[in-house]
Amino acid sequence: MKKALKALAAGAVLVGSLSAAIAEKKDVRSELMKEMWVMMEAMEQIQRGGLTSSSEEMKAGVTKLQGTLSSLESEKVKVILPDDQVYAYKFAQKTASMLRLYSDDMILSIETGRMDDALDNYTQLLKQCTSCHIRIRSW
Amino acid sequence: MDRRNFLKVVAAGATVIAVNPSLIRGNLYASDGTLYKAYERTQLVDASGNPIKASMLAKEVNYIFNYPYTSTPCMLINLPQATEKDVKLKSDGGEEYVWKSGVGKERTIVAYVAICTHQLTHPTPNESFMAYVPKAVKTMAYDTSGVIVCSSHLSAFDAGAGGKVLGGAATQPLCAVVLEHKDDDTLWAVGILGQDSFHDYFKEFRPELKEFYGGMAEAKKLVSFSVKTVTLSEYTKEIIQY
Repeated sequence: MKKALKALAAGAVLVGSLSAAIAEKKDVRSELMKEMWVMMEAMEQIQRGGLTSSSEEMKAGVTKLQGTLSSLESEKVKVILPDDQVYAYKFAQKTASMLRLYSDDMILSIETGRMDDALDNYTQLLKQCTSCHIRIRSW
Repeated sequence: MDRRNFLKVVAAGATVIAVNPSLIRGNLYASDGTLYKAYERTQLVDASGNPIKASMLAKEVNYIFNYPYTSTPCMLINLPQATEKDVKLKSDGGEEYVWKSGVGKERTIVAYVAICTHQLTHPTPNESFMAYVPKAVKTMAYDTSGVIVCSSHLSAFDAGAGGKVLGGAATQPLCAVVLEHKDDDTLWAVGILGQDSFHDYFKEFRPELKEFYGGMAEAKKLVSFSVKTVTLSEYTKEIIQY
Protein backbone atom coordinates (compact mmCIF):
# COMPACT_ATOMS: atom_id res chain seq x y z
CA MET A 1 0.00 0.00 0.00
CA LYS A 2 2.81 2.35 0.98
CA LYS A 3 4.55 1.60 -2.31
CA ALA A 4 1.37 2.33 -4.26
CA LEU A 5 0.92 5.66 -2.47
CA LYS A 6 4.54 6.59 -3.14
CA ALA A 7 4.15 5.75 -6.84
CA LEU A 8 0.92 7.75 -6.98
CA ALA A 9 2.59 10.76 -5.35
CA ALA A 10 5.58 10.52 -7.70
CA GLY A 11 3.21 10.30 -10.66
CA ALA A 12 1.28 13.34 -9.50
CA VAL A 13 4.51 15.34 -9.11
CA LEU A 14 5.62 14.26 -12.59
CA VAL A 15 2.31 15.18 -14.21
CA GLY A 16 2.28 18.47 -12.32
CA SER A 17 5.76 19.47 -13.43
CA LEU A 18 5.08 18.34 -16.98
CA SER A 19 1.96 20.46 -17.27
CA ALA A 20 3.81 23.37 -15.67
CA ALA A 21 6.55 23.02 -18.25
CA ILE A 22 3.99 22.90 -21.08
CA ALA A 23 2.20 25.94 -19.68
CA GLU A 24 5.50 27.80 -19.37
CA LYS A 25 6.38 26.90 -22.97
CA LYS A 26 2.96 28.17 -24.08
CA ASP A 27 3.52 31.42 -22.15
CA VAL A 28 6.91 31.98 -23.73
CA ARG A 29 5.46 31.16 -27.13
CA SER A 30 2.56 33.59 -26.82
CA GLU A 31 4.91 36.24 -25.43
CA LEU A 32 7.19 35.82 -28.43
CA MET A 33 4.30 35.84 -30.87
CA LYS A 34 3.18 39.16 -29.35
CA GLU A 35 6.69 40.48 -29.81
CA MET A 36 6.56 39.52 -33.47
CA TRP A 37 3.47 41.71 -33.85
CA VAL A 38 5.24 44.55 -32.05
CA MET A 39 8.17 44.06 -34.40
CA MET A 40 5.86 44.39 -37.38
CA GLU A 41 4.33 47.57 -35.95
CA ALA A 42 7.84 48.93 -35.34
CA MET A 43 8.78 48.29 -38.96
CA GLU A 44 5.61 50.06 -40.12
CA GLN A 45 6.42 52.99 -37.86
CA ILE A 46 9.97 53.28 -39.22
CA GLN A 47 8.66 53.17 -42.78
CA ARG A 48 5.99 55.79 -42.01
CA GLY A 49 8.64 57.99 -40.42
CA GLY A 50 10.90 57.60 -43.42
CA LEU A 51 8.19 58.37 -45.93
CA THR A 52 6.88 61.40 -44.03
CA SER A 53 10.37 62.71 -43.16
CA SER A 54 9.76 62.28 -39.46
CA SER A 55 13.04 61.28 -37.91
CA GLU A 56 11.40 61.20 -34.49
CA GLU A 57 8.92 58.59 -35.66
CA MET A 58 11.74 56.56 -37.18
CA LYS A 59 13.66 56.69 -33.92
CA ALA A 60 10.55 55.70 -31.96
CA GLY A 61 10.12 52.74 -34.33
CA VAL A 62 13.73 51.71 -33.73
CA THR A 63 13.26 51.87 -29.96
CA LYS A 64 10.15 49.70 -30.28
CA LEU A 65 11.98 47.24 -32.54
CA GLN A 66 14.98 46.95 -30.27
CA GLY A 67 12.70 46.26 -27.32
CA THR A 68 11.71 42.99 -28.99
CA LEU A 69 15.17 41.69 -29.81
CA SER A 70 16.42 40.26 -26.53
CA SER A 71 14.17 37.19 -26.68
CA LEU A 72 15.13 36.54 -30.29
CA GLU A 73 18.78 36.83 -29.36
CA SER A 74 18.37 34.26 -26.58
CA GLU A 75 17.59 30.55 -26.88
CA LYS A 76 13.93 31.35 -26.16
CA VAL A 77 13.54 31.77 -29.90
CA LYS A 78 13.49 27.97 -30.25
CA VAL A 79 9.95 27.97 -28.86
CA ILE A 80 8.41 29.83 -31.80
CA LEU A 81 10.28 28.03 -34.53
CA PRO A 82 8.43 25.27 -36.37
CA ASP A 83 9.46 21.82 -35.08
CA ASP A 84 11.48 21.04 -38.20
CA GLN A 85 13.36 24.33 -37.92
CA VAL A 86 14.23 24.40 -34.23
CA TYR A 87 17.77 23.35 -35.08
CA ALA A 88 18.16 26.58 -37.05
CA TYR A 89 17.71 28.86 -34.04
CA LYS A 90 21.24 30.21 -34.52
CA PHE A 91 20.11 31.66 -37.82
CA ALA A 92 17.29 33.48 -36.01
CA GLN A 93 19.80 34.73 -33.44
CA LYS A 94 22.07 35.98 -36.21
CA THR A 95 19.09 37.75 -37.77
CA ALA A 96 18.32 39.42 -34.45
CA SER A 97 21.91 40.61 -34.11
CA MET A 98 21.80 42.03 -37.64
CA LEU A 99 18.52 43.80 -36.82
CA ARG A 100 20.26 45.40 -33.85
CA LEU A 101 23.27 46.38 -35.96
CA TYR A 102 21.20 48.00 -38.73
CA SER A 103 18.85 49.74 -36.30
CA ASP A 104 21.79 51.13 -34.30
CA ASP A 105 23.28 52.39 -37.54
CA MET A 106 19.93 53.90 -38.51
CA ILE A 107 19.93 56.04 -35.37
CA LEU A 108 23.48 57.14 -36.14
CA SER A 109 22.50 57.94 -39.73
CA ILE A 110 19.48 59.98 -38.62
CA GLU A 111 21.51 61.88 -36.05
CA THR A 112 24.16 62.79 -38.58
CA GLY A 113 21.57 63.83 -41.16
CA ARG A 114 22.29 60.97 -43.57
CA MET A 115 18.68 60.10 -44.32
CA ASP A 116 19.58 58.13 -47.45
CA ASP A 117 21.71 55.83 -45.29
CA ALA A 118 18.87 55.62 -42.76
CA LEU A 119 16.49 54.47 -45.50
CA ASP A 120 19.11 51.99 -46.70
CA ASN A 121 19.15 50.66 -43.14
CA TYR A 122 15.38 50.26 -43.28
CA THR A 123 15.75 48.21 -46.49
CA GLN A 124 18.29 45.99 -44.75
CA LEU A 125 16.04 45.57 -41.70
CA LEU A 126 13.21 44.46 -43.95
CA LYS A 127 15.55 42.11 -45.78
CA GLN A 128 16.56 40.51 -42.49
CA CYS A 129 12.88 39.93 -41.65
CA THR A 130 12.12 38.34 -45.01
CA SER A 131 15.33 36.30 -44.99
CA CYS A 132 14.43 34.71 -41.65
CA HIS A 133 10.81 34.08 -42.64
CA ILE A 134 11.95 32.46 -45.91
CA ARG A 135 14.20 30.21 -43.86
CA ILE A 136 11.79 29.13 -41.16
CA ARG A 137 8.94 28.51 -43.58
CA SER A 138 11.20 26.63 -46.01
CA TRP A 139 9.99 28.81 -48.90
CA MET B 1 58.18 58.38 -81.54
CA ASP B 2 59.07 56.87 -84.87
CA ARG B 3 57.46 53.77 -86.32
CA ARG B 4 60.25 51.45 -85.14
CA ASN B 5 60.09 52.67 -81.52
CA PHE B 6 56.32 52.46 -81.52
CA LEU B 7 56.48 48.83 -82.65
CA LYS B 8 59.09 48.09 -79.97
CA VAL B 9 56.81 49.49 -77.24
CA VAL B 10 53.83 47.50 -78.51
CA ALA B 11 55.88 44.29 -78.72
CA ALA B 12 57.30 44.78 -75.21
CA GLY B 13 53.83 45.36 -73.76
CA ALA B 14 52.43 42.32 -75.51
CA THR B 15 55.31 40.17 -74.21
CA VAL B 16 54.80 41.32 -70.62
CA ILE B 17 51.07 40.55 -70.77
CA ALA B 18 51.65 37.21 -72.47
CA VAL B 19 54.09 36.20 -69.74
CA ASN B 20 51.83 37.33 -66.90
CA PRO B 21 48.18 37.94 -67.80
CA SER B 22 47.38 38.90 -64.20
CA LEU B 23 49.10 42.24 -64.81
CA ILE B 24 45.97 43.33 -66.65
CA ARG B 25 43.36 44.87 -64.42
CA GLY B 26 39.74 45.05 -65.43
CA ASN B 27 37.08 42.83 -66.92
CA LEU B 28 38.13 40.41 -69.57
CA TYR B 29 35.36 39.09 -71.73
CA ALA B 30 37.44 36.79 -73.88
CA SER B 31 36.09 35.31 -77.05
CA ASP B 32 35.96 31.88 -75.37
CA GLY B 33 33.36 33.20 -72.97
CA THR B 34 35.62 33.65 -69.97
CA LEU B 35 34.41 36.23 -67.46
CA TYR B 36 37.44 37.17 -65.46
CA LYS B 37 38.65 40.11 -63.43
CA ALA B 38 42.34 40.33 -62.63
CA TYR B 39 43.47 41.83 -59.34
CA GLU B 40 46.82 42.29 -57.66
CA ARG B 41 48.84 39.09 -57.75
CA THR B 42 48.96 38.14 -54.07
CA GLN B 43 50.83 35.40 -52.27
CA LEU B 44 49.03 33.29 -49.69
CA VAL B 45 50.98 33.26 -46.42
CA ASP B 46 50.32 31.81 -42.98
CA ALA B 47 49.65 33.82 -39.80
CA SER B 48 53.40 34.28 -39.29
CA GLY B 49 53.92 35.53 -42.82
CA ASN B 50 55.54 32.34 -44.16
CA PRO B 51 54.44 31.26 -47.63
CA ILE B 52 51.68 28.67 -47.72
CA LYS B 53 52.90 25.57 -49.54
CA ALA B 54 50.32 23.63 -51.50
CA SER B 55 51.67 20.30 -50.29
CA MET B 56 51.22 21.36 -46.65
CA LEU B 57 47.50 22.07 -46.89
CA ALA B 58 45.45 19.60 -44.88
CA LYS B 59 42.76 17.79 -46.85
CA GLU B 60 39.18 19.04 -46.49
CA VAL B 61 40.01 21.84 -44.07
CA ASN B 62 38.41 25.24 -44.58
CA TYR B 63 41.10 27.93 -44.90
CA ILE B 64 40.16 31.58 -45.15
CA PHE B 65 41.95 34.55 -46.70
CA ASN B 66 40.64 37.96 -47.67
CA TYR B 67 40.89 38.78 -51.39
CA PRO B 68 40.75 40.91 -53.49
CA TYR B 69 39.65 43.40 -50.83
CA THR B 70 40.77 43.41 -47.19
CA SER B 71 37.20 42.57 -46.13
CA THR B 72 36.08 40.01 -48.73
CA PRO B 73 36.58 36.49 -47.36
CA CYS B 74 37.58 33.63 -49.64
CA MET B 75 37.86 29.96 -48.84
CA LEU B 76 40.77 27.74 -49.79
CA ILE B 77 40.23 23.98 -49.77
CA ASN B 78 42.40 21.00 -50.58
CA LEU B 79 39.83 18.51 -51.84
CA PRO B 80 40.17 14.75 -51.39
CA GLN B 81 40.06 14.13 -55.14
CA ALA B 82 41.05 15.88 -58.35
CA THR B 83 38.64 18.53 -59.55
CA GLU B 84 36.78 18.50 -62.83
CA LYS B 85 38.30 20.29 -65.81
CA ASP B 86 36.92 23.06 -68.05
CA VAL B 87 33.58 23.37 -66.28
CA LYS B 88 31.09 25.54 -68.15
CA LEU B 89 29.23 27.89 -65.82
CA LYS B 90 26.61 30.58 -66.26
CA SER B 91 26.02 33.75 -64.28
CA ASP B 92 22.55 35.07 -63.45
CA GLY B 93 23.11 37.64 -66.17
CA GLY B 94 23.36 34.81 -68.71
CA GLU B 95 27.11 35.18 -69.26
CA GLU B 96 28.82 31.87 -69.81
CA TYR B 97 32.36 31.28 -68.62
CA VAL B 98 34.75 28.42 -68.07
CA TRP B 99 36.35 27.38 -64.80
CA LYS B 100 39.59 25.64 -65.76
CA SER B 101 40.28 23.39 -62.75
CA GLY B 102 41.84 23.19 -59.31
CA VAL B 103 45.59 23.67 -58.90
CA GLY B 104 48.37 21.70 -57.20
CA LYS B 105 50.10 18.49 -58.12
CA GLU B 106 46.83 16.56 -58.12
CA ARG B 107 44.53 19.46 -59.14
CA THR B 108 42.83 19.32 -55.75
CA ILE B 109 43.29 22.87 -54.49
CA VAL B 110 40.47 25.32 -55.07
CA ALA B 111 39.51 28.76 -53.82
CA TYR B 112 36.18 30.57 -53.89
CA VAL B 113 34.85 33.88 -52.69
CA ALA B 114 33.04 32.85 -49.50
CA ILE B 115 30.10 35.17 -50.13
CA CYS B 116 26.94 33.24 -50.92
CA THR B 117 25.44 34.31 -54.23
CA HIS B 118 21.92 34.05 -52.80
CA GLN B 119 21.87 36.60 -49.97
CA LEU B 120 25.56 37.35 -49.48
CA THR B 121 26.03 35.26 -46.32
CA HIS B 122 29.74 35.18 -45.47
CA PRO B 123 32.08 34.27 -42.62
CA THR B 124 32.66 37.01 -40.06
CA PRO B 125 34.93 37.03 -37.02
CA ASN B 126 31.79 36.25 -34.94
CA GLU B 127 30.37 33.29 -36.85
CA SER B 128 30.29 31.52 -40.17
CA PHE B 129 27.30 29.98 -41.91
CA MET B 130 29.47 29.29 -44.98
CA ALA B 131 31.77 26.27 -45.03
CA TYR B 132 33.00 23.34 -47.04
CA VAL B 133 31.44 20.21 -45.53
CA PRO B 134 33.94 17.30 -45.53
CA LYS B 135 32.87 13.99 -47.02
CA ALA B 136 32.53 12.31 -43.64
CA VAL B 137 30.15 14.97 -42.28
CA LYS B 138 26.46 15.08 -43.19
CA THR B 139 24.69 18.18 -44.44
CA MET B 140 20.99 18.98 -44.79
CA ALA B 141 21.66 21.04 -47.89
CA TYR B 142 22.51 18.20 -50.26
CA ASP B 143 22.37 14.42 -50.60
CA THR B 144 26.11 14.00 -50.44
CA SER B 145 28.85 15.85 -48.61
CA GLY B 146 32.14 17.16 -49.91
CA VAL B 147 30.31 20.32 -50.98
CA ILE B 148 30.29 23.97 -49.96
CA VAL B 149 27.19 24.82 -47.96
CA CYS B 150 25.61 28.10 -47.04
CA SER B 151 23.64 27.20 -43.94
CA SER B 152 21.60 30.41 -44.02
CA HIS B 153 19.17 29.12 -46.65
CA LEU B 154 20.81 25.75 -47.34
CA SER B 155 22.40 26.36 -50.71
CA ALA B 156 24.98 23.81 -51.83
CA PHE B 157 27.84 24.44 -54.27
CA ASP B 158 30.14 21.99 -56.03
CA ALA B 159 33.63 22.58 -54.64
CA GLY B 160 35.23 20.48 -57.36
CA ALA B 161 33.43 22.08 -60.29
CA GLY B 162 33.91 25.84 -60.13
CA GLY B 163 31.35 26.47 -57.38
CA LYS B 164 28.43 25.28 -59.51
CA VAL B 165 25.05 25.38 -57.75
CA LEU B 166 23.93 21.94 -56.63
CA GLY B 167 20.84 22.83 -54.68
CA GLY B 168 19.05 25.33 -52.48
CA ALA B 169 18.06 28.92 -53.01
CA ALA B 170 21.17 30.14 -54.85
CA THR B 171 20.93 30.44 -58.61
CA GLN B 172 24.45 31.55 -59.49
CA PRO B 173 27.79 29.78 -58.94
CA LEU B 174 30.16 31.02 -56.28
CA CYS B 175 32.85 33.28 -57.68
CA ALA B 176 36.11 31.41 -58.01
CA VAL B 177 39.47 32.80 -57.00
CA VAL B 178 41.95 32.09 -59.77
CA LEU B 179 45.06 30.60 -58.20
CA GLU B 180 48.57 30.10 -59.51
CA HIS B 181 50.67 27.25 -58.16
CA LYS B 182 54.36 28.00 -58.63
CA ASP B 183 57.27 25.57 -59.03
CA ASP B 184 58.36 26.34 -55.45
CA ASP B 185 54.95 25.03 -54.29
CA THR B 186 53.68 28.50 -53.30
CA LEU B 187 50.15 29.66 -54.01
CA TRP B 188 49.13 33.01 -55.44
CA ALA B 189 45.71 34.57 -55.98
CA VAL B 190 45.54 36.49 -59.24
CA GLY B 191 41.91 37.24 -60.00
CA ILE B 192 38.23 36.50 -59.67
CA LEU B 193 36.19 34.41 -62.08
CA GLY B 194 32.44 34.79 -62.28
CA GLN B 195 29.92 37.52 -61.56
CA ASP B 196 31.05 39.11 -58.32
CA SER B 197 28.74 40.88 -55.87
CA PHE B 198 31.35 42.99 -54.10
CA HIS B 199 29.46 46.23 -54.74
CA ASP B 200 26.29 44.87 -53.11
CA TYR B 201 28.34 43.34 -50.30
CA PHE B 202 29.94 46.69 -49.42
CA LYS B 203 26.59 48.47 -49.59
CA GLU B 204 24.65 45.89 -47.65
CA PHE B 205 27.12 45.21 -44.87
CA ARG B 206 28.33 48.78 -44.31
CA PRO B 207 27.62 48.79 -40.53
CA GLU B 208 29.19 45.37 -40.06
CA LEU B 209 32.29 46.25 -42.09
CA LYS B 210 32.68 49.51 -40.18
CA GLU B 211 32.60 47.50 -36.97
CA PHE B 212 35.15 44.91 -38.05
CA TYR B 213 37.46 47.01 -40.24
CA GLY B 214 37.15 50.45 -38.67
CA GLY B 215 35.64 52.09 -41.74
CA MET B 216 34.63 51.55 -45.32
CA ALA B 217 37.86 52.96 -46.72
CA GLU B 218 39.79 50.25 -44.91
CA ALA B 219 37.26 47.55 -45.86
CA LYS B 220 37.49 48.48 -49.54
CA LYS B 221 41.29 48.48 -49.71
CA LEU B 222 42.68 46.05 -52.25
CA VAL B 223 45.09 43.51 -50.85
CA SER B 224 48.57 43.39 -52.29
CA PHE B 225 51.82 41.45 -52.00
CA SER B 226 50.59 38.83 -49.55
CA VAL B 227 47.51 37.81 -47.60
CA LYS B 228 47.20 35.88 -44.37
CA THR B 229 45.51 32.53 -44.66
CA VAL B 230 44.13 30.84 -41.56
CA THR B 231 41.74 28.01 -40.84
CA LEU B 232 38.06 28.90 -40.61
CA SER B 233 38.04 27.97 -36.92
CA GLU B 234 40.86 30.45 -36.34
CA TYR B 235 39.08 33.11 -38.39
CA THR B 236 35.70 32.87 -36.66
CA LYS B 237 34.37 32.16 -33.18
CA GLU B 238 31.67 29.76 -34.29
CA ILE B 239 31.03 27.61 -37.36
CA ILE B 240 27.35 26.92 -37.92
CA GLN B 241 26.78 24.13 -40.37
CA TYR B 242 23.55 22.30 -41.08
